[in-house]
Amino acid sequence: MESLRALFVDDETEYLQTAIKRMKKRGMDVTGVSSGSEALAILSEQAMDVVVMDMRMPGMDGIQALREIKQRYPLVEVIMLTGHASMEAAIQGMELGAFDYLMKPIDIDELIYKIQDAFQKRQLQIKKIETMEKMRR
Amino acid sequence: MIKRLRSFFSKFQDSGQQPSAAEAEALRIAFKDRYHHFKLLLNANNRALEVMGEIEQALRGRAPFGMQFVRSRCTRVSTDVFQIVQHINALAPKKYESLLARFKEIQSRINPFVHPQAAEPRGPLVMPLSNVDRASADLTGPKMANLAELARQLGLTIPHGFVVTSAGFECFMKSGELQAEINRRTQAAEIERPDHLYALSTAIQQLIIQSPLPDELALAIAEACQKMETAAGRQVPLAVRSSAIGEDLSGASFAGQYRSVLNVGRETLGEAFKEVVASKYGQPAMTYRLRRGIRDEDVPMCVGCLQMVNAKAGGVLYTRNPVDIRDDALIVHATWGLPKTVVDGTAPTDQFNIRRGSPPTIADRRIPHKPQRYVCYAEEGVCRLTTTGDQADRPCLTDAQALALAEMGMRIENYYGQPQDVEWALDGDDQLVLLQCRPLQQSTARTTDMTPVDSRWPVCLQGGQTASNGVAAGKVFIVTKEADALQFPKGAILVTVQALPRWAMLLDRAAAVITEQGGLAGHLANVAREFQIPAIFGMPEATTRLSSLQAVTVDADGCRIYEGRIEALLAHRDAPRNLMAGSRIWQMLDGAAQMIVPLNLLNPDSPDFKPDRCRTFHDITRFCHEKAVHEMFRFGKAHHFPERSSKQLRAKVPMQWWILNLDDGFKTEVEGHFVELENIISIPMRALWAGITAQPWEGPPPVDGKGFMSVMFQATTNQALLPTVRTTMANRNYFMISQNYCSLQSRLGFHFSIVEALVSERTAENYINFHFKGGGADFARRLKRVQFIRDLLEPYGFRITIKEDHLNARIEQYIMSTMIQYLKILGFLTIHTRQLDMIMANPAVLAHYRQKILTDIDTMLAAKATTTEEVLPA
Repeated sequence: MESLRALFVDDETEYLQTAIKRMKKRGMDVTGVSSGSEALAILSEQAMDVVVMDMRMPGMDGIQALREIKQRYPLVEVIMLTGHASMEAAIQGMELGAFDYLMKPIDIDELIYKIQDAFQKRQLQIKKIETMEKMRR
Repeated sequence: MIKRLRSFFSKFQDSGQQPSAAEAEALRIAFKDRYHHFKLLLNANNRALEVMGEIEQALRGRAPFGMQFVRSRCTRVSTDVFQIVQHINALAPKKYESLLARFKEIQSRINPFVHPQAAEPRGPLVMPLSNVDRASADLTGPKMANLAELARQLGLTIPHGFVVTSAGFECFMKSGELQAEINRRTQAAEIERPDHLYALSTAIQQLIIQSPLPDELALAIAEACQKMETAAGRQVPLAVRSSAIGEDLSGASFAGQYRSVLNVGRETLGEAFKEVVASKYGQPAMTYRLRRGIRDEDVPMCVGCLQMVNAKAGGVLYTRNPVDIRDDALIVHATWGLPKTVVDGTAPTDQFNIRRGSPPTIADRRIPHKPQRYVCYAEEGVCRLTTTGDQADRPCLTDAQALALAEMGMRIENYYGQPQDVEWALDGDDQLVLLQCRPLQQSTARTTDMTPVDSRWPVCLQGGQTASNGVAAGKVFIVTKEADALQFPKGAILVTVQALPRWAMLLDRAAAVITEQGGLAGHLANVAREFQIPAIFGMPEATTRLSSLQAVTVDADGCRIYEGRIEALLAHRDAPRNLMAGSRIWQMLDGAAQMIVPLNLLNPDSPDFKPDRCRTFHDITRFCHEKAVHEMFRFGKAHHFPERSSKQLRAKVPMQWWILNLDDGFKTEVEGHFVELENIISIPMRALWAGITAQPWEGPPPVDGKGFMSVMFQATTNQALLPTVRTTMANRNYFMISQNYCSLQSRLGFHFSIVEALVSERTAENYINFHFKGGGADFARRLKRVQFIRDLLEPYGFRITIKEDHLNARIEQYIMSTMIQYLKILGFLTIHTRQLDMIMANPAVLAHYRQKILTDIDTMLAAKATTTEEVLPA
């Protein structure tokens, strides 16, 4: 699989640090920021494949950030990860184009599988667009 | 883009023309994309079924679960089903769009159970007790409402004071998002595990203690204090007591779950308030709620701030015998000073048994040595004093006082119409003050035929008093400190010195309770009775004469402990009560489950098998899974892309099996008509194949005459049974494969079976689903056949459901090598149970076949250690 770049967004810095450390130990290329606006800032500078984002954050909340990300970068896959399960927020997020809605605590391997699946979806989308372009020419 | 892709596909479908290189590449990607959707659909399907299983299990079982379980499972299953709908729509655009509306409809009906709109308490943050009556229980909690009501209606003396209402509590919990933070931490913890619960409880309590009181609440409390002091003309020390809403819920006692802080000065009142609030998240209270299925949000903590009574003596009065419903005597427990040791169960107390009547009379009196008492410090707090002189041995109530107390108890009981548990104090002027009262829970004393005695049984200890009836056996575990409590094993006998209220948190794990000290009036006794845990209190030297890990049988009725397990005694045990069933949280889950779990769409051939008929999430799941497999099949069959058309299997010779490669099931792409077995790298398919070919099939068993007639008759009425009638998938044995997936639809003889499996390194996603149905022969024989298969599979650990003559077997989340073994078994059965129903009427022949199949399976599995390498070609 081509190399995957993931961005973690969580205002709980302790959780963020631990998650990043564990992801890196498993050979993943992970960056972490602690707010929605920081996430948007970093996306405007660096290419990211998958964003893993907390839902409840001060300032721009997860749903808002998700909406912005999908609008500006529709091919970036977003996985919502929350400590506050809400059926309505889950479906709202899925409708806005999130890849999945996961709840803390989550098994680290399971999270990695989700990230890989989201990445594969993105790769397929990109390739599909590429081949359509080729055929048009 | 989808539109363009589709016209692009139809081009090949219609003309059969060969695609260009670019087009072939686009097709390959389109296939990969479809397969990825399919795989994600299967994952979501699998998870949804798993969560449904968990929900069913939780509703059936006795294990406690909290509201966060309800929320997280319902959210999980909603998300999964939503994904399933998304993926089926990606696989077959426009075809099943109405599913989304069905999904939303069902979800909207689940929502109220998962996120109920709690009514905001309206009212003042603080209320003087003089304004409180029974109607204000929603604001003040039942404890304070009862107290005020009795003062008002019966003219009883109660302390002056005020209540921080549920509105005041909400005001505090909302400030700084305190409640939201608590909920977040609760979700992230596994509160079913004692160590996690302990850590969570500690963290939440600290959080509460450290949160500042919002200004408006602090102000309201200060004003109420000021008024009391102005009226009294002096400083008024307070007793700060819990009065949580819901303490009167469905027989829940909440006895001793919360803190009271005694003799508090005005300056520290805020801290004391927070301590009482924090005790809502103390380990005992959290365990209790979990065990009783009570929602966190249903028990807001109102806090009573009552003038401290500087008691000469105090205690508890039961208006009936709590451990014998036939005994109508009143029982008074009393001690010198504050009644603290009575409710804590930490010291011996005077006991008066009082015969009902007008006037009541004293029937019995037990006056032990009472070496200690608790009194108020002048400034703040309480202290323990050693009782000097002959006071320790004197009764702390005169007979007249005891009888006056009994009289008060009878009036209260009369007023409420049920037995009461009354906490009282005798103040400096010998005035009787009512501190609190609540309904008393009584249990039935068991008679001797329920708990027999045999002199041959080895008694290792006897004495004390029955605190809670019943019989139990287990290993002794002596608890002396907090750390011991964390280690406390499930099913052990709790043995401890004092009957401290804290040990109530162990009652969800303890089989019985033995204490050296403490009376029946303590909180621990109350909770033991509520949970129906046998308990003996006041058993001398229990912690020294018993040793940890010693196996004993406790007869709480006879106040005896026997060495070892006495089965004859245990045989008379009452069935334990399921505390979860019917609880509020259980009801929430049950309500949601009605929209999630039932399966109405059973038969894919029925005209009702369509989106509009989906009434539950399970229906949607079932429908989409069926259609997804169908769409994958149809798509593979329909177009003429040679790499992806179905291939006939060749294992040296052509076989009557066809293979549809969905993604990466072949080592190298195959253009022609045949695929060699060696070229197939699908792990689950190779495992099934190993089972299918493990032994040649010996042909159908010799048919008895009736069996043959039954099959012939069925064949004339069921067209699908006739080999000449071709339906879409029914005519051939198809494997749909990828490297980690396989779906085998097979029609061998008259049987129809589907094996579907996902097997990879991702253990959590692994599953096998086996479906078996149809077949010749009459219904009774077909039924016997599915039962036959169930009996074969169940011992291997498959979860089996049978509806009519459909059998479904499922197994999941084993590592790859184990999944491979299971698939071999299914492959074997698919072949070797063909046409067995013709002999189903003959038990002897059936038993023979059962034995033969089991032996053959064992031989197959033992033949060589099956590994992934063996299944896959090198």
